[in-house]
Amino acid sequence: MMKKDNSKKPNIFFWFMGLMGSRLPIYLLAIVVSIVGFAGSKIANAWLIKDIMEAAQTRQTDGLLMTVAVNFVVIVLAMFTWRFGIIRYNIEAKRGIARVEKQVFAKVLRLPMSYYENKHSGDFMSKLVYDMERAGDIYGSRLRRLLDGILTTMIYMIPMLWLNWRLTLCLLFVSGLSFVVNSVFIKPMKTVGGRLSAKTSVLMEKITNILAGMETTKIFPTGRQLLNEYDVANEECYKLQKKTNVMSSALDSFNSLFDLLSGLAFLGVGVFFIAKNMVTLGELTAIYSIYGAFRYVVLEIGKYIPQLMNCVANAERIYEFLQLEEEPERYTRNDDGKAGGQSAVSADCALAARDVTFGYEDEKKVLDKFSMKITKGEFVAVTGKSGCGKSTLAKLILGFYRPKEGGFFIEGTSYGAMSLHELRDKIGYVPQEPYLFEASIAENIAYGMSSMAPENVPMEKIIEAAKAANAHEFIMKLPKGYDTVPGERGNTLSGGEKQRIAIARAVLKNAPLLLLDEATSALDNESERLVNEAIERLCENRTTIMIAHRETTIARADRVVAME
Amino acid sequence: MGTRLKSNLYLDVGMRHGGLLLTYLLAAAVINAVVIAGNDYLARATDTLLGGGTVEFSRFFLPLGMMIVIGTVMTYIRDICAYHYSAVVQRDIRGKIGAHLLVLPYSYYDEKGTGSIMTKLISDISEVGRFFSEIMPELLVDFITVLTVSVYLLKMDVMLTVMLFVTFPVLMVVADRLSRHLSSVAGKRRTSIDARTKVAYDAISGIEIVRSYNLSDVMQRKIDFYIDDVAEQGCKSTRITSRGYVLRHTVNTIPVVVCYLFALHEIMTGKITTGDMLAFSVLLSRIIYPLSNIVFCVNDIREVNVSLKRVKEIYDQPPEESGTGAFAMESNDKTVIAWKDVTFSYDGERSVLNGISLQIDKGSTVAFAGGSGEGKSTIFKILCGFYRMTGGSYQLFGHEYKEWEIGAARNCFSYVSQNVFLFPESIWKNVAYGRENATREDVIEACKNANIHDFIVSLPKGYDTMVGERGVRLSGGERQRISIARAFLKDAPILLLDEPTAAMDSGTEGLLSEAINRISVGKTVIIIAHRLSTIKDADTIYVVDKGRIAEAGTHEELLSLNGIYAMMHGKEEADDEEGQQ
Repeated sequence: MMKKDNSKKPNIFFWFMGLMGSRLPIYLLAIVVSIVGFAGSKIANAWLIKDIMEAAQTRQTDGLLMTVAVNFVVIVLAMFTWRFGIIRYNIEAKRGIARVEKQVFAKVLRLPMSYYENKHSGDFMSKLVYDMERAGDIYGSRLRRLLDGILTTMIYMIPMLWLNWRLTLCLLFVSGLSFVVNSVFIKPMKTVGGRLSAKTSVLMEKITNILAGMETTKIFPTGRQLLNEYDVANEECYKLQKKTNVMSSALDSFNSLFDLLSGLAFLGVGVFFIAKNMVTLGELTAIYSIYGAFRYVVLEIGKYIPQLMNCVANAERIYEFLQLEEEPERYTRNDDGKAGGQSAVSADCALAARDVTFGYEDEKKVLDKFSMKITKGEFVAVTGKSGCGKSTLAKLILGFYRPKEGGFFIEGTSYGAMSLHELRDKIGYVPQEPYLFEASIAENIAYGMSSMAPENVPMEKIIEAAKAANAHEFIMKLPKGYDTVPGERGNTLSGGEKQRIAIARAVLKNAPLLLLDEATSALDNESERLVNEAIERLCENRTTIMIAHRETTIARADRVVAME
Repeated sequence: MGTRLKSNLYLDVGMRHGGLLLTYLLAAAVINAVVIAGNDYLARATDTLLGGGTVEFSRFFLPLGMMIVIGTVMTYIRDICAYHYSAVVQRDIRGKIGAHLLVLPYSYYDEKGTGSIMTKLISDISEVGRFFSEIMPELLVDFITVLTVSVYLLKMDVMLTVMLFVTFPVLMVVADRLSRHLSSVAGKRRTSIDARTKVAYDAISGIEIVRSYNLSDVMQRKIDFYIDDVAEQGCKSTRITSRGYVLRHTVNTIPVVVCYLFALHEIMTGKITTGDMLAFSVLLSRIIYPLSNIVFCVNDIREVNVSLKRVKEIYDQPPEESGTGAFAMESNDKTVIAWKDVTFSYDGERSVLNGISLQIDKGSTVAFAGGSGEGKSTIFKILCGFYRMTGGSYQLFGHEYKEWEIGAARNCFSYVSQNVFLFPESIWKNVAYGRENATREDVIEACKNANIHDFIVSLPKGYDTMVGERGVRLSGGERQRISIARAFLKDAPILLLDEPTAAMDSGTEGLLSEAINRISVGKTVIIIAHRLSTIKDADTIYVVDKGRIAEAGTHEELLSLNGIYAMMHGKEEADDEEGQQ
């Protein structure tokens, strides 16, 4: 896998926050507003209690009701401030996550073909989705919680110190101690967290296997074996989880030890202070009531740092994914400078290959100095034994891969002289195994006209294409007609029917050059006739390259290119 | 048929580890008791001090220290029980769901699509995990806290406690309203997340088309639409939850203030001491959050409920129909499979098979021919028990199919197809899946028999080469031979061949047909044929037309009938001749 130089890697956390762009200040401000609002309500609450307690001690109740009312109003106002902030924050966070997701999925669609062929889709997709979810938590909760801890601590300190600095310093000392211990756990927690998420994805892959290979799973004893593998992965997950549990429990009990210690010690010390008249009972309860909220947040800081770190690890994988090389907009030419200009091949030549050398791996050449020329309007069949490079040739013609040496020309223009987008606009491709998307048949055909959003392609055009592809009749026989969504694995449509829809798509595209990879899976005679008829109609007035497997097809060709 | 007592997935699993849960709750109760006792203790000390008395330092801190130690130990116990409980429950649920996926009927997957089951299941299972790890234990502990603390408060002052609960009903109503709203938003959000992933998955699976038709932007727009919707639903749910939170906080403040004022009144009248009030204020802060939390847990529960339900829906799907018999794979007469008037319909309306009768003898080769959509594949699916016939009788080795235990029935079949699924594992494993506990030697022998060994060895990593949907490039013929090797390992008496030797390149066709001939020795072979030239030698050819057997006989017999078969044959001959010119 191609990775950029590690030394250039930015700090992942700042990089991720940077993805927020111009919304970042608003996002951060919203967090601050929400925190101030919340802390404000807590402090007002504490003040209320202080006043009441002092009244209890001094038995003076004059003006108490007024104080209560004022404080209550402050509390409510503070809560609304909080709400204002939190809503803005959430909107910004959710939209930020959406922006990241869009970037990631855009990348998913733009990787070089080799990536899809090497990795199996389930693997990289489910991992990606998981990483995205976790990384999104940075925006959605982790950062706010951490900031909450830090900011609230600072805000709470002011009234606490003001109420009684001696008592507050005692408390701070205890909290600081617990914070230190908590940070010791950060690293091991992060390590285990990473391992756990790796195990979880193995588990998911196993379950994917059970589902994806359903026929095999049922007929062969495969099912039980897969289930065994799944159970093993499940057990491993569980064991790792158990390990984490011991650590988390230790941390928790430590925290609660501090909680109890500081709470009780606080009251103990406080009572001594009261006895010495260094603090009033009202102040004591007020501080305690703020401290109740305070110690919670401080402990959370310790807890949220490792959690944030875990999420940053996920974000790092997103970063790496986004750094992957994309399919370029155009390929550079191999003969740059030498051939000079683009008219090395005459323009009436629909497609030409010149000395094309290519191999998926470096050592093994699939094509070695392959050349051919196809004149406009010709029907050329490409034949050869299986594995001789016919399908590879099709992929090269489509610009899925870049030749190692030599190059292709379409209508006299070198591939390097146009973008892949332009190039592909000129080719109508019907693959060996037709692929239908999980969308209605109408939409599947409408995809042929990529210049237009599929929902804007007029229905008449779709029907026209379907008729030309011999597909209209069977589509109309389906209960939902053109709105039928072919089952996931096309179970509701036969191979021939799917093929005819794929042909209809190519008909709609109306490209000057046709590239057909003939199906190897046999069709019964009737649907073969329908498919052949559709193909013949499609080939009329077009240049056609057919990767052929059948004698009948080869016989029909104007010219045969045999590959070795 | 006996009625199976329907077991509840969550109750079963949840109760199985009830010990852990109970320990957890006990520990939580002890912690509460310690806190209350500690508070009480401090309140007394406060009163003494405020009254001008003295408290001896060591006698004061010793019991307090004990309480702290007990509290810490109990916290450890409580938490480790809670974490373990959640881990073990999640493991069990995952295990049960995994096992259940295997026994679900084929039709279920056919209807719902494996992709959507997969994406839903993966996120739903983790949501279910959240229920058992966070929501449920928290709720239970909140209950215990509220209960123990109120008992203590009740002893202190009855009126005080009553006031604490005054606003409780208001909270309940508010929470209920909000959560209803929330759960519908949450449901919509999940649907959009699923749709987003599905579209992306779809685009990758069809990446060749996406690329060659310049559809990246179209796909991107589709994905973006769902992403935006997910964000929109997320914002909506924030508005609702935050409104709830504000209300909750405000409503919560009322009893606190009222209680304090009332406590003040009680002090004035001398009913409680200042120490009592101090203890009260500490306990109040402990109880007020759990109290409203109990109510607002409804939100979480409703949200998780979407996932709980969906997982349960899968789990509650009845497993495949199955009998109990595991009969011998031989019968008294020669008949292996006997069908009588078998009818079938997928939807109960459009019938696909209209009364098919046939008899397949041991060691014979039988082929089904006919146009697409005439019912050939359906016959196949019924033979394997993927679907159950709607009417008629199907006997396998002399026993009604429905009496067979489904696994035992399937042990009678192996299946070879060009479109066979290869798992994203090593080649070795893919072949080994044909038999349980297959050894390396078994696998190599099977591959040799299937004429694929030489090819595998020629790969850089040999048998350890990874295959699968995006694995190493394998041609149709190679895939088919791997599936033959798998079938060799299984060594079942009946061989199902789907689309064999279909338009192979001549070089590999020889290897393939040799492998097929080798595996057919001594087996009953059933072929779904698409090209008639491959089935000339079959003992019986059934021509399927509109869900019926239109013609049956040997190649010669059928030709002399001059019916559908003869017509199909004529067309193919003409095609081939044309091809040779």
